[in-house]
Amino acid sequence: MALHVPKAPGVPQMLKDGARMLSGIEEAVYSNINACKQFAKSVRSAYGPNGMNKMIINHIEKQFVTSDAGTIIRELDVEHPAAKLMVLASQMQDSEVGDGTNFVIVLSGSLLEAAEELLRLGVTPSEIAEGYEQALDKCLEWLPELVCHEIKDYKNVEAVVAGIRSSIMSKQYGNEDFIARLVAKACIAILPEKTTFNVDNVRICKILGAGLQQSEVLSGMVFKREVEGDITSVTKAKVAVYSCPVDITQTETKGTVLIKTADELLNFSRGEESLLEKQIKEIADAGIKVVVAGAKFGDMALHFLNKYGLMAVRLNSKFDLRRLAKTVNATVLPRLTTPTADEQGYCDTVKVDEVGDTRVVVFSMETSESRISTVVIRGSTDNYMDDIERAIDDGVNTFKAISRDGRFLPGAGATEIELAQKLLQYADTLPGLEQYAVRKFAVALESIPRALADNSGANATEVINNIYKAHKDGKKTYGYDIESDSGDACDAKEKGVLDAYLLKSWGIKYAVGAATTILKVNQIIMAKRAGGPKPKAAPGSDDES
Amino acid sequence: MQPQILVLKEGTDQSQGKPQLISNINACQLVVDAVRTTLGPRGMDKLIVDHGGKAVISNDGATIMKLLDIVHPAAKTLVDIAKSQDAEVGDGTTSVVILAGELLKRLKPFVEDGVHPRIIIRALRTVSRLAIERIQELAVKIESQSPEEQKELLRKCAATAMSSKLIHQQKDHFSKIVVDAVLSLDAPLLPLDMIGIKKVSGGALEDSFLVSGVAFKKTFSYAGFEMQPKSYNDCKIALLNIELELKAERDNAQIRLDNVREYQKVVDAEWQILYEKLAALHESGANVVLSMLPIGDVATQYFADRDMFCAGRVVAEDLRRTQRACGGAVLSSVRDMKPESLGRCAQFTERQVGGERYNIFTGCPAAKACTVVLRGGAEQFLEETERSLHDAIMIVRRTIKNDAVVAGGGAIDMEISKRLRDHSRGVAGKEQLLVAAAARAFEAIPRQLADNAGLDATGLLNKLRQRHHAGDVWFGIDIQKEDIADNYVNCVWEPAVVKINAVTAACEAATQILSVDETIKNVKGEAPPQMPGRGMGRPRMG
Repeated sequence: MALHVPKAPGVPQMLKDGARMLSGIEEAVYSNINACKQFAKSVRSAYGPNGMNKMIINHIEKQFVTSDAGTIIRELDVEHPAAKLMVLASQMQDSEVGDGTNFVIVLSGSLLEAAEELLRLGVTPSEIAEGYEQALDKCLEWLPELVCHEIKDYKNVEAVVAGIRSSIMSKQYGNEDFIARLVAKACIAILPEKTTFNVDNVRICKILGAGLQQSEVLSGMVFKREVEGDITSVTKAKVAVYSCPVDITQTETKGTVLIKTADELLNFSRGEESLLEKQIKEIADAGIKVVVAGAKFGDMALHFLNKYGLMAVRLNSKFDLRRLAKTVNATVLPRLTTPTADEQGYCDTVKVDEVGDTRVVVFSMETSESRISTVVIRGSTDNYMDDIERAIDDGVNTFKAISRDGRFLPGAGATEIELAQKLLQYADTLPGLEQYAVRKFAVALESIPRALADNSGANATEVINNIYKAHKDGKKTYGYDIESDSGDACDAKEKGVLDAYLLKSWGIKYAVGAATTILKVNQIIMAKRAGGPKPKAAPGSDDES
Repeated sequence: MQPQILVLKEGTDQSQGKPQLISNINACQLVVDAVRTTLGPRGMDKLIVDHGGKAVISNDGATIMKLLDIVHPAAKTLVDIAKSQDAEVGDGTTSVVILAGELLKRLKPFVEDGVHPRIIIRALRTVSRLAIERIQELAVKIESQSPEEQKELLRKCAATAMSSKLIHQQKDHFSKIVVDAVLSLDAPLLPLDMIGIKKVSGGALEDSFLVSGVAFKKTFSYAGFEMQPKSYNDCKIALLNIELELKAERDNAQIRLDNVREYQKVVDAEWQILYEKLAALHESGANVVLSMLPIGDVATQYFADRDMFCAGRVVAEDLRRTQRACGGAVLSSVRDMKPESLGRCAQFTERQVGGERYNIFTGCPAAKACTVVLRGGAEQFLEETERSLHDAIMIVRRTIKNDAVVAGGGAIDMEISKRLRDHSRGVAGKEQLLVAAAARAFEAIPRQLADNAGLDATGLLNKLRQRHHAGDVWFGIDIQKEDIADNYVNCVWEPAVVKINAVTAACEAATQILSVDETIKNVKGEAPPQMPGRGMGRPRMG
């Protein structure tokens, strides 16, 4: 018998039972790439104006119908650690620019796909990553040269509509002009003079019924509530905003009223009543016509409010209260005191209106400039309105990007092809192995017009050839013509298909970032899932080595 | 170890591609089939037993769709549009579902043949635009006419809305009630909740009546109630939100006494507080006292002694209606009551209606509210009647707001169909076929009307097509004569806004269903499983 030499334990043996470890190019890199490819494929069909919608039912049974990649990935609950990196990149894009989430995923997916081919040829992951980064630097260098349009006066509705049209087109193809106009109106109405534009100041109110074409922009706010008291409409009103309940003041500490004599008992509630009446009378005497509170209106308070002809509106959300205070220019008062002239707000009309069969309270400003505008969306189904809301959201974010940087690149794949063409030339000048990676980067960029063409049912290869041809002739702004059946190229600039400069530059950066990070991983160690309930915040504590 | 590629969570259901789209359309078809037979005057009703075992008989598309409790994600869209139609115009819920279903059915072959859904969607948007344009072109405005003429018009609209319902036999009777009810409301807003609908089983449908004022069921009463007068002329009404009973002044108040004499005083004081309130009410000159909160027996007897009527625990809605009708204000305090805070009405009576006693206020000066008292047999029957009235009321309200009407009975649908067919002939490319398909879809409404009435649908449709081609825009199905007729002359009218909304909603729903190519269903957020041993406490490695 040979001497039994116990085998040296490998890494897996050293870990707890059930832990999994994947390492090396075969196991880790390819599997990561595969997962990302699959993931990108799933959202890719949603890219562009002709992208299809996805119907998603999330874990709480809420239904979404959307082609917004941001929403899709948020609700998908992605598990694979590498695919999660892509999700993160896309989310970063969402918070930085607010649009172009799908762009990031499609691009990084095809970067990885291209890398896989190189890996099979024997190029090491780090070389690929390096080449990608070089290509990225070059792209960012060239991007400013490709700018074809600039919006300087972002107070001009027409100019802004042209800018946000294509961003909305990718969500609501066919309705883009209408929605873009809504967004432009809403944004420009509240554009502050000095400070930056805040996305939060464009509110959206969805009311079931009628159709999209009946949607409108109001300057001011709309709440899906009813008024509390009897007065339903006032004009040119001073507004007082309270965060406390409008009622008989109650002590926080639990107290007991001690009554010693019969007289005290008799006068007890009378005193309370007259105190409240005095408070409300003072408010009314100060010229206030509308009282808004963040909490309950007491019966007794309501009685006096009606008596003095004050309108009472209750808002449940603290944020709504704050926004309303901003709209009417009032200070939120924590106690039921009479507001001073500074603390009072002013609103042109406050009234109850019926939209569909929903009662709404409208605070609208006609003459004075409002700081918040509301887009009232009408639509026949909740899902449809949700999707329009997301389209508007993207539009508003694009507007924000415009207000920071008004430069635009040609869309419809024109920019990508131009970059790809330049990269191919650049690759020839490189001495090292990274030239392969740079070339592949160019191929990966083609995936954008390819996805556009695929989703529209056109022949993608032919489309790309057509665009290349146009670019060779020096027509740098030529991209894929969505409306043509044969896959011709057209001038994206002329067609008004424009992408914000910021969107593209950040998108490329994040996509490359995600792709290189995934490429550089060569080992995955997954700890065994702990039994018991999942941690509340982020399920799945997978380590990404 | 085989690397596992699992992008999504385990259990996530993912289906995609064209088959998915087609299966979605098929699912919608099934839902449409469930409601299609309810359309029109000869439509049949559905009896639905919900999960609670409650039986509902209904002809109203929205009600049926809501009760069907559909879980299929795509078919849910149809429920949504029915709801939307209900919210926006209140009627036409069945037609909107049928229209959406028919559009999908007609477009399905194109999906199967490989036409890109986006192209279909673009065609649908064109269809919706053209259809709405046509409705607006044809709609007959009937503005600035004398009140009588307007009333007559509204009655016709209400009658059309009711002709498809259970109560179509009594539609003349009810359309009068409905129009009078709506016209008595506040002009611009026409708040729906100011029309009360009370159901009293027993009697015949024709015994239903409208109270131009308020009526509500007699509330629970204490001893002494019998002595109170039950009828007043020209009375004053106090509307309260006060409990008229001996009660604690304050929840968190405590009385601490140190001698016996004071105790009696405190007891007296409590009584005094109550009597003061009662005296204040009496002095104000009110004859009738209504309160949202209980009115105790002491108060009841006190009022009886002074020839006053009282009712406690009146439902808040009824009280608000009373306030709107009679004026005055709902008071939370009886101190310094002013004469103007009392409501007034010409007549108050308590009347026997079926097995119930009703308090009825009529001849109200403000008269911004009214109540319809429905009589009839079975409970389900009454409920369906209420729903039908609701539909009719909504129709009348819409017509008052936008006073344009089109002829019903499939006339307008045929005309839209013709318009689309004409348009399709001028379009080059795939859209031609798609628009033509949509044109056929619009014929579904008259076809279904005829089918439900047991008429020869194909024959009638051919006649209709011929008529419309000749330019008789208002020809539709005439159920009574089992033939076609000019429905505008026959007074089968519906507000244009109903049709516009139906077309918009149906097209939006169809586009939405067509635009989905993938359904991803996450696992349900399961309840946290019980903790198995937690895996803690094991010694650390190494």
